[in-house]
Amino acid sequence: MRVPPLCFVSMPPKDVMLIRELPYADPGVPDARSGRHFLLWLGRMQWAGQAKSLAWGLLHMGGIAAVPLVMGMAIQAVVTGSGARLAVAGGLLALVGVASTVGDTMLHRTAVSNWITAAARVQQLLARRTAELGATLTQRVAAGEVVAVSTGDIEKIGWCVESVSRFSAGLLVALGVGIGLVIYEPQLGLLVAAGLLVLLLTILPLLPRATRRADVQREEAGRATELAADTVAGLRVLRGIGGEELFLERYRRASQRVRRAAVRTARMWAAIEAVQVALPGLLLLGVVWHGTRLALDGRIAVGELVTVYGAVTFLLVPLRMFQEFAMAYSFSRPSAARAARVLALRRTEEAHPTRPSGGPPDGDALRTRDDAWSEDQDQEDIVEPNADLFDPETGLCVTAGGLTAVVCGDPDVAGRLAARLGGHVPEPASEAESEPGGDPYDAEAGSEDGSAGDSKDGSAGAAVRDADEGKAPHPVLRQPSVRLGDTPLDELPLDTARGTVLVQDKDPVLLSGTLRELLDVPRSGRVSAREALEAARCGDVLEALVRSSPESGGDPMAASITERGRSLSGGQRQRLALARSLVTDPRVLVLDDPTSAVDAHTEARIAESLRRIRTGRTTVVFCSSPLMLDRADEVRLISEGKAVASGSHQELLRDNQAYRRIVTRETHDGSTEEAEAAAEAEGTVTA
Amino acid sequence: MTVRAYVRELVRRHRRAFTVLVVVNTLAVTASMVGPYLLGGLVEDLAAGQRDLPLGWTVTVFAFALVVQTYFVRQVRIRGAVLGEHMLADLREDFLVRSVQLPPGILERAGTGDLLSRITTDIDRLADAMREAVPQLAIGVVWVGLLLGALTITAPPLALAALIALPVLMVGCRWYFRRAPGAYRAEAAGYAAVAAALAETVDAGRTVESHRLGARRVALSDRRVGEWTAWERYTLWLRTILFPTVNLSNVLILGGVLVLGGVFVLQGWITVGQLTTGALLAQMLFEPVGLILRWYDELQVAQVSLARLVGVREIEPEDGEDHVAPDGRDMRADTVRFGYHESVDVLHGVSLAVPSGTRIALVGPSGAGKSTLGRLLAGIYAPRSGDITLGGAELTRMPAERVRSHVTLVNQEHHVFVGSLRDNLLLARTDADDHELWSALRAVGGEGWARGLSDGLDSEVGSGGQAVTPAQAQQVALARLVLADPHTLVLDEATSLLDPRAARHLERSLAQVLEGRTVIAIAHRLHTAHDADVIAVVEEGRISELGSHEALVREGGPYAALWRSWHG
Repeated sequence: MRVPPLCFVSMPPKDVMLIRELPYADPGVPDARSGRHFLLWLGRMQWAGQAKSLAWGLLHMGGIAAVPLVMGMAIQAVVTGSGARLAVAGGLLALVGVASTVGDTMLHRTAVSNWITAAARVQQLLARRTAELGATLTQRVAAGEVVAVSTGDIEKIGWCVESVSRFSAGLLVALGVGIGLVIYEPQLGLLVAAGLLVLLLTILPLLPRATRRADVQREEAGRATELAADTVAGLRVLRGIGGEELFLERYRRASQRVRRAAVRTARMWAAIEAVQVALPGLLLLGVVWHGTRLALDGRIAVGELVTVYGAVTFLLVPLRMFQEFAMAYSFSRPSAARAARVLALRRTEEAHPTRPSGGPPDGDALRTRDDAWSEDQDQEDIVEPNADLFDPETGLCVTAGGLTAVVCGDPDVAGRLAARLGGHVPEPASEAESEPGGDPYDAEAGSEDGSAGDSKDGSAGAAVRDADEGKAPHPVLRQPSVRLGDTPLDELPLDTARGTVLVQDKDPVLLSGTLRELLDVPRSGRVSAREALEAARCGDVLEALVRSSPESGGDPMAASITERGRSLSGGQRQRLALARSLVTDPRVLVLDDPTSAVDAHTEARIAESLRRIRTGRTTVVFCSSPLMLDRADEVRLISEGKAVASGSHQELLRDNQAYRRIVTRETHDGSTEEAEAAAEAEGTVTA
Repeated sequence: MTVRAYVRELVRRHRRAFTVLVVVNTLAVTASMVGPYLLGGLVEDLAAGQRDLPLGWTVTVFAFALVVQTYFVRQVRIRGAVLGEHMLADLREDFLVRSVQLPPGILERAGTGDLLSRITTDIDRLADAMREAVPQLAIGVVWVGLLLGALTITAPPLALAALIALPVLMVGCRWYFRRAPGAYRAEAAGYAAVAAALAETVDAGRTVESHRLGARRVALSDRRVGEWTAWERYTLWLRTILFPTVNLSNVLILGGVLVLGGVFVLQGWITVGQLTTGALLAQMLFEPVGLILRWYDELQVAQVSLARLVGVREIEPEDGEDHVAPDGRDMRADTVRFGYHESVDVLHGVSLAVPSGTRIALVGPSGAGKSTLGRLLAGIYAPRSGDITLGGAELTRMPAERVRSHVTLVNQEHHVFVGSLRDNLLLARTDADDHELWSALRAVGGEGWARGLSDGLDSEVGSGGQAVTPAQAQQVALARLVLADPHTLVLDEATSLLDPRAARHLERSLAQVLEGRTVIAIAHRLHTAHDADVIAVVEEGRISELGSHEALVREGGPYAALWRSWHG
């Protein structure tokens, strides 16, 4: 099957489609106080679309509702033997048919447009929210929550948004038909109205039960998918060592549980469907019985009996719509609540109450995104050049323009210190503050205050003002901020701080895309991609990339990297991440164990080129490999949370027992690994 | 086509369920036609001016038909679900069975990412199709057939009148179905791409913040939203053609029956009762026609997913030759050449002898071919020329299950499976008892934390279960090795993802585990090399230096220089 080219897409009929505006330049500021508020806000944002949808829906439903009338007319014409009236009925049917066809098509178009615009809007809001929260997101809410909103919840919210206008149209027309019936023949009309009420009351209580079962089924299905995905993810382990049958058996059990849950759900739906057959059937039975007697009495014509029969059948259509809407609403409520919860998150900077909110925008700031997102504002102006980096907490001082290696015995301590050096929010010790969106409007009000002064001196000025207003500092005791020269890092606008000091953590994530896209990060422009790749010794990585993506046509920059760079080895991933940090060329670069998975040969070469490419810039490397340490200008030893010694690698190796122990990996029980190994090797060498 | 063959096989497997579904469906539809039939009779009698109607009898029959219809409608739904769910379960289980039979070489080369997307996305997408489309299509086809049949029985001219809509329907649907599957596929892919971009931003939160990538991520998301909505717009346009076609066909069917039928009555060819019944039956046709179109659509989309799943079945498991078995434990590579592509060799005539019980370290710069050589020695790839033998038997001619009972490759991938700790260990030897499991954990220094878990061996670990550190995951992997007990191991940077301290600890426990075994270690830390009996320096696909640590240091080559730099 040929996939149609994208150019087809620009050819749909020329009506005013909401979808044309997508993606929105500005998705707006959501009312995220609660799920209900959020749904209402979404509805408000597309009220015109909803109104159109409702209007077309009325036309469509009206058309369908008129069919029994025409049918009755035709039968009556035949009964009375009137060819002319039969022709009129035929003409009317054509008219009604065209009306309902146009109505149906346009209803579908407008309702689906509402779906799409709502979904697109929420996706765009989510993207902005996550980009703003950055590293703090996962400290506030589980990553799965956000992904769940984007993959599952949006569809449910969209479904609700889509079905509301259709249901409203159905309801209005059904009321019209019902009233018409009552006026036309009160006894029959009341019978029908009562019957429908009973039907509604019977089915409504069944719906929550069905949806509950559907939830159980979805949960089971999710678990089975997880098991399967997990088994496949570990397939190389399984194939390498065995146990396939064990895992297959496990999966089969899960799969059968899904099947049983699904059949259970289907039983509930089957019951609902049976009710939908039985009760309307009884109603029809009553109508036929009563209607026939009326016809016998001559109170209604034969054709009218057919009309009433048809009208009852018609009324089942809005009933289904009601059922659909009830389900869509009950499904979307928790989804909307979760979406609201995620969208209400703010970057509150508990650790840095003095931090100006000049970072990535929230809500209002988006409209002025050019200011807020500016990448090339010159950081050099803000902080004086040649400023040493000083951490008052540990007493660690990093000389400007040099390559400083920091040795910590404990890798966790190293990770925390590296984050501190970049002014990153520390990982929270507890989840106590995790209730999100406690008062999102407070945060917004704050940024609005600040934006008053925005025009004068850019985001940094607004920031200082905000700080000057002296919002009460967080009662929790804070560690003093790392200083760059005389400037506390915490007092710089977020974007400036991040642009000045780049921290590459232990587990840098490679974002998927081509290599060119990977290296397309905000940067100084002084280091080219080629130089950075060379310095990080990525030659073999480039070969591997080209090999695995034939579409690149031999150009490694066009080769694609899979999510998290999973197709590459740990060492290859590390080197690409290093290249990305090098191409950024920040004033201060903090690297946390950047070569832990790289082989000794390559590590030695990287250490050499790191010195060369970072000449004149400040570089801090946390590591314990002699190959790297030996090439640093200065080495600092951190012990018990304090900087205790500094000097060159050779000096420290000679003079400092603790340093020697960490770097050469002597064990604590006195004997060295080397001695053990040597003894072992002497006894067993056979080659 | 394999997809067709597979579907045929599925249907054959579930023939009984299919038959039952068709039968209950037939009964349900037949019962549903009683109403229009009776009404037609009443109308005819009323029109004829008859006063003495068998109303009681009519109502009784109607009520009876209603009971039958209610019962069988419920049955149709249940039977349909049972059938659909059985087929779906078969499908996903079949897929996993095939996946775990894939040859290790293919897994190494292709990675598991693609398989992963097949088992998550494609199975989900197929679920709806299997669960609903197949049964519903069966129901719809039977339904339409029965209605047309009933129409014909009621009054043959009316059936002809209903058929005037057929050409319109055919032309419209043909147009639509030629374009729809590709478009829906692209639309689904576009939507998945939107979600994927967001998931990555969330996952890479730290990196995004550090590198100030926020604006780019937002722009990427917006672009993906734009691409996805473009496809949505295209499919909406397709339906803008389909919907009127179907609607107009419905009007044509009803109009044809009503107007032409009316003329027939006026001409006296059929009765007014027949006309009423016919018109009501014609109106009943709308639903199954819609049903068929709706699910045919879904089935077309699902076919793509099915093809991707069935595609896995086409990769034949490599059976190996049963009679090839090693005699002894000496490993030998003889002028081995190998490349991932026809033209480019990664290894250029490597020869290496690894006597039983030797510990050999492969060192060298990245990309030199160490890992490739390791994989060849573990029997995962077959050399392009030259031989790799274990005890005189060629590794690649042995069944994969036999190879792994002798040689095991341990790489950086320390997957902890979702499930109990017990299951995670049992996979290496399914008949091991708890005592053996504990002693395996003890041997790798992992007993302490395992005892500390809330439910011991029954504790749920892996994603979603109790957190396991990378070092503990590594211990689990090593405990599996202890249980599997192969005599030769290929360690490919097995500890490289751990922090140096944990790595050192682990290597110490590993040393005890490896006692007396043949070990081929691909090392990136020099102390690992130092501990080995023999060091082979691999450079540019060749072994450039070979000998003990002392010998190599004495020779003063590249290895010696590196060692001095490292050791100070």
